Amino acid sequence: MSSQNRNTGERKVKKFTQKMQKKLVVLFILILLAFAGLSIVLISLVKNNKVDYQKQILSQQQYDSTVIPYRRGDIVDAKGIKLATSEKVYNLIVDAKIMNTEVKGEKPYLETTLDALTRNFPMLDMVAVRKHVTTNTNAPYYVAAKRLTYDQISSFKSAQLDDSNIKGIWFEEEYKRVYPNGSLAADAIGFTTTDGQGSYGLEEFYNDILNGTNGREYGYLNEDLNLERTVKPAVDGYTVHSTIDSNIQMIAEKYIAKFMEEHKDLVRAGNGAENVGCIVMDVNNGEILAMASAPGYDLNDTRNAQALIGSKMVEQVTNANGYYEIKKNGQVINQDIIDSMDNDQLLLNLNYLWKNFCITNTYEPGSVAKPFTVAAALEKGTITPASTFECNGSLEIGGFKIKCHNGNEGTMTLESGVAKSCNVTMMKIAQTLGVDNFCEYQSIFNFGLKTNVDLAGEARTNSLIYNPNVMGPTDLATNSFGQNFNITMIQGVAGFASLINGGYYYEPHIVNKITNSNGATIKNIEPRVLKQTVSENTSELIRQYCTAVVQYGTGKTARPAGYMIGGKTGTAETIDQNTHKRSPNEYVVSFMGFAPADDPQIAVYVVVDRANAVRQDDAKFATRIVRGVLTETLPYLQIFMTEELTEKEMKELEELKLEITSQYKAPKEETEVVEPIYTVGEDGGKPTWLTFPIDPNTGYRVDPATGYKYDAQAGFLIEGDMSSIGIEEPVNKNLESE
Amino acid sequence: MAEREAVRKRNKRKSDSYFDYSLLFVVLFLLVFGFIMIYSASSYNAFQDYGDPAYYMKKQLLAALIGLVLMVVVSKIPYHFFERFALAGFIFSLLLIPVVKTPLGVNSHGATRWIKIPGIGLNLQPAEIAKLCMILFLAVLVSKLGRNVDTFKGFAIMVCAPLLHCAFIYLFTKNLSSAIIVFGISFLMLFVASSSYKVFFALGGGGIAAVTALVLYIVNKVGTDGGFRSERIIVWLNPESQAQDKGFQTLQALYAIGSGGTWGKGLGQSMQKLSFLPESQNDMIFSIICEELGLFGGICVISMFIMLLWRMLVIANNAPDLYGAMLVVGVMGHIAIQAVLNIAVVTNTIPNTGISLPFISYGGSSVMFLLIEIGLVMSVSRGIRLADTQ
Repeated sequence: MSSQNRNTGERKVKKFTQKMQKKLVVLFILILLAFAGLSIVLISLVKNNKVDYQKQILSQQQYDSTVIPYRRGDIVDAKGIKLATSEKVYNLIVDAKIMNTEVKGEKPYLETTLDALTRNFPMLDMVAVRKHVTTNTNAPYYVAAKRLTYDQISSFKSAQLDDSNIKGIWFEEEYKRVYPNGSLAADAIGFTTTDGQGSYGLEEFYNDILNGTNGREYGYLNEDLNLERTVKPAVDGYTVHSTIDSNIQMIAEKYIAKFMEEHKDLVRAGNGAENVGCIVMDVNNGEILAMASAPGYDLNDTRNAQALIGSKMVEQVTNANGYYEIKKNGQVINQDIIDSMDNDQLLLNLNYLWKNFCITNTYEPGSVAKPFTVAAALEKGTITPASTFECNGSLEIGGFKIKCHNGNEGTMTLESGVAKSCNVTMMKIAQTLGVDNFCEYQSIFNFGLKTNVDLAGEARTNSLIYNPNVMGPTDLATNSFGQNFNITMIQGVAGFASLINGGYYYEPHIVNKITNSNGATIKNIEPRVLKQTVSENTSELIRQYCTAVVQYGTGKTARPAGYMIGGKTGTAETIDQNTHKRSPNEYVVSFMGFAPADDPQIAVYVVVDRANAVRQDDAKFATRIVRGVLTETLPYLQIFMTEELTEKEMKELEELKLEITSQYKAPKEETEVVEPIYTVGEDGGKPTWLTFPIDPNTGYRVDPATGYKYDAQAGFLIEGDMSSIGIEEPVNKNLESE
Repeated sequence: MAEREAVRKRNKRKSDSYFDYSLLFVVLFLLVFGFIMIYSASSYNAFQDYGDPAYYMKKQLLAALIGLVLMVVVSKIPYHFFERFALAGFIFSLLLIPVVKTPLGVNSHGATRWIKIPGIGLNLQPAEIAKLCMILFLAVLVSKLGRNVDTFKGFAIMVCAPLLHCAFIYLFTKNLSSAIIVFGISFLMLFVASSSYKVFFALGGGGIAAVTALVLYIVNKVGTDGGFRSERIIVWLNPESQAQDKGFQTLQALYAIGSGGTWGKGLGQSMQKLSFLPESQNDMIFSIICEELGLFGGICVISMFIMLLWRMLVIANNAPDLYGAMLVVGVMGHIAIQAVLNIAVVTNTIPNTGISLPFISYGGSSVMFLLIEIGLVMSVSRGIRLADTQ
């Protein structure tokens, strides 16, 4: 019944007809065909392209590695004070792709991030950033700002934490070399170029030790073709411990600066001297405690052309032999010249400035060589401590009449010969030695050889001394008092230290320890005695003679109040670069000293190259610097006073103490009164020096009784132990002043 | 006798509650497989963008659960119940399309194709509603027209019925692919309802000729200047020419499929999903399936669709009436068109256009309405009367 009803009911409704059913089957078959076709496409796709596409996909993966920069090691001084250090800095990287990410059709990060940048980086050129972000929407790497400090980026970082819509900015880490003390010990430290390579000084010499190894964060595909990321940490560079003591260095630089300031633009426009160098060295181990020179430069701003102002301009010329030569052209650099210099010229002059005078420049040492001559002859036994020599003002050798600046002095002992810096005595001593012995001792004292001080840029001087085959009697005579051969300051002070410390020649060095970034010692650099130059007995005699120089000889003004020191003054003529003849009025004056006199601890060597003064041949330029340096350094080194202080000296020390203690309080009015020495006669009336006749040759007033020379107008005692041999005298062809 | 009566009653009851478990199994399989693949394809990007690797999967799960509930509800309702809403649904769905231009419209992926339902926070795609309503309307229309479908008038009515929807979808939502699908569903339903073959071969041949001509015209004359649709044609023919630009997605999909090989790199091992392949959890999910599970996985998915369509074929051919059968044909056409076109796009067999893979691709509206459609099919299948004598 019911089924019948249903059947009749079904007849009423329209049926899905057989034809339709067939058509549906046709449709299904068509769909099957479509799927079959697609399957064939799929299969062929895989079959034909599997390897290619796999490679393609792998090549798209980012296994590019990021470099984790190492930190260049510090350079610290003897007390651990940082002379050079590396600070982490940050490059601001803009990822335009992330910034332009669309979320639900909008760009939620773009404006928020740009706004945050504007607020937190006032120095940023937002117009350029915005332009980049909106035009290169797919560029993931754009350096918007370089070398920002952490302080500069910290506000943005905290904003980034607060607002998750600030996206597409990250910071690339880098290290920047910083010199906390600016120009302090600039020549000795050197600097680092932006790519992390040291230039000059310690930075260059110890470049490989200071530099570490970059780390890497990189991705690679493991055997299952999964991308894995690995971090290989950076190895930081080692720390170099210098023997330089910042305090002594500062003292040395203070007195050099004082000299430079006093003599600046004095007679001609320009610096107080072309160069002033000062080395303080521990005589008992060869450690350099201070190495300073002027003009200097700021290590944090090495390319600042302002540092050149006042120096003589140098230029590159091709000489007669076709070699390039760097020569001073006589012009003093001023702002106008800087403006007119092209890049090459500027770089040439800066390179000249960056050189370390103390080890790179060579010059004729002058009378500071006299103790070496005496020591050599004593060692060889050609003279004895009791030997005396007759000085009658000049000595005729090889057709030249070589004068003594003091005139006729009569009988000289070794002590008075050194103390009064008598040329004739030295020439006679050298004659007893002979050419061969003299040259042998030149090389024993390391003249002509590198000292191998651990600094970049030490000059070669082997061609700047004589060898016995070509050395004539005149050469021997002039060499005996320090003319006609060149040395560097470091050679001078290292040799001198051996003369007075008992004969031990220490290799001068400026680094005594290398530690790794955790502070563990990697290497200790022990003092190295290279040779015994002279015997203990000779050394003692030299100490005695040098002490006499300060006690009553040419170096009286070098003695610091309360101490007895030894030393030797030097004044040398320079050779004109263009004429290759001795310049009539350009001098290098120096003082080489040690303290205390009875038990030498430190040696000080100060060289003033062509001072800006009416008469350059005044050793007081150097002795005053030495005196200042020692006055402050000896107490600092806890060396006690041995000499009684005069009232004047006490007053002086009081003033110095006041100056040092008050320098941090208020700027003191500088009322420096240059007191002429020996201006007032002993009778208190008309100064004695005014009565002396003027020597027509030199322009000095000469005391007929003592032979001392005084400045004709001001009455300064010309203390230079000028080893004058006259401008027509022979010149070592290899020598030139720089 | 009484015993026999009882057995017959039981049999009758059994026949009354016919349920196509194969269909349910295939649908559930595709759904679950879809969750897994969405999770695999989207977890990297989801974590990058939302900090939750399961972000997309969770949303899909929610939409699917709602869809399953609706499916069960719809399958319990006799399908004739919906007959009376056919015209209303037709008009409602048509009017719903322009709503995307009102403030209720939701913009995403650079197009306004969604409507925000106030209060629930769920976004609906009017095009999906249109597809459902079009199937319902045309099924009713065919059953009303009956043999008149073969008359010119009846044929014209059938052809013209979806045109307004297509035009609205294309004009208001700039969604050519949905318009094509709506038209395609109607076309397939008409094909089944009509008794003629010639007309369709003529139409099909003409269509192919027209498309070929258009492609040739674009390639030779227009170049890339003719707007983004003709640009897509150029890219389709030579995706490498714009590898970093318009051809990027297509090329990356091809790389994914090709690099997968026969057996794939393994579930979760896709490299293309690591922000190389845009929309990897959406329209391009089939290429990730091929990359991870290989040719094998891809063919399996195709087989599942064939099985699904086969079950529908069986249901339609056994449907109690024309209306029910046409409903199933519509749903079948819908799923077939989307599956075929999606795979065709992914393999660069046709130009790139946004068509999702039914049940598997990420997309809440799509999966919800597909499940409602499956509910309809189940409702029709319930009406199947098993033969009493076996």
